[in-house]
Amino acid sequence: MNDINRDDELIAAASTLATEISPEQDLWPGIAAAIARPQGSRWTPMFVQAAAVILLIGASSSLTYLATKDRVQVVEFVPTGLVFEQASFGNHYALGVEYQEAHGDLAAQLDEELARLSPEAREDVELNLAMIRGAISQINEALQKEPDNALLQDLLLRTYHEELALMQRVGGLTQHVMSRKDI
Amino acid sequence: MSDIAEICSLEALLTATVSDYSPQMVALNNPGMTDEADCIARAQRSDAKAFESLYRMHIDKVYGICLRMTGNVAEAEDCAQDAFIQAWNKLDRFRGDSAFATWLHRIAVNSVLGRMRKSKRERDRIQLATATSVSPASVADTGELRDLSDAVDRLPEGARHVFVLFAVYGYSHVEASDMLGIAPGTSKAQLHRARRLLAQQLGKEGFEV
Repeated sequence: MNDINRDDELIAAASTLATEISPEQDLWPGIAAAIARPQGSRWTPMFVQAAAVILLIGASSSLTYLATKDRVQVVEFVPTGLVFEQASFGNHYALGVEYQEAHGDLAAQLDEELARLSPEAREDVELNLAMIRGAISQINEALQKEPDNALLQDLLLRTYHEELALMQRVGGLTQHVMSRKDI
Repeated sequence: MSDIAEICSLEALLTATVSDYSPQMVALNNPGMTDEADCIARAQRSDAKAFESLYRMHIDKVYGICLRMTGNVAEAEDCAQDAFIQAWNKLDRFRGDSAFATWLHRIAVNSVLGRMRKSKRERDRIQLATATSVSPASVADTGELRDLSDAVDRLPEGARHVFVLFAVYGYSHVEASDMLGIAPGTSKAQLHRARRLLAQQLGKEGFEV
């Protein structure tokens, strides 16, 4: 018998192995007990993290808006160590080259990485990314009205961090680390 | 009534019977499908009784793949239980794009892989399997198939997973690799490895394939 025939017969024999096997004990009581509990397990840590970011952004943006809408002129004490970092944002902020490169690299590989995930995990990741990107869009809109708002700038930076961190968690592909100067 | 009239009458009756009752006949021919679809719909509305019916319908399939993949009764029971709990939590995402059994299989495979990643028991399991040389899954098989079942159970984890999904359950390399989170090429390589190892093992034991 040659190897090919032997292999074919091996696969044929394997296909006749039992595919349905009864467990020695009924597993339903354990399952019933588990599904009777409140369903907290649907909230994955990643989802909770993304939801926390959105909550933080929403609350902070509202507070910022309420705190600054009636102010004619704001005079703030700025610690010396932060002057350089704040200056790096400028009145007309833009994403830095390093960030764009890191983001571009990750985005290019993200689809490939997503394709390797299970449909459920992929759905979770895409949902989380959509939420974070929605938050980025909202902060950018707020920043168009208040380009010098340091709190919004900081929130934007942290949200971009979240987006990159999520993409890195999916792929673990890049070692780029965004700094405050990248925005 | 003449013979011709009688025949026409019979034809009319037969035609009416087929056209009038064909939907019911289809339903009667696939009672399991109707029951399953009904149970899925009710379970999606958080009906635990309906979900128990789904459990009863599919537990042997889910436990079977868990046992084949883990080769350990306790692990297989944990994985099967976990798979059904996950299925309950994800039921709202099941839209019938694939068969419910296939959907459950995927969840069961994920459960097995997740548990194996978390625990280091796999190494202990291999040592135990080697020491005892008895596959718990082989009790479901007969005759020489028990030797094959034992040999499959002694395969290294990666090769065993691919062999079980491809050869025992009939999934394609693309499907198996998707379920296992590996590249199709890796799946083919692992199958080749599994075949080589099985041929060695079964050759030693005088198994006729």
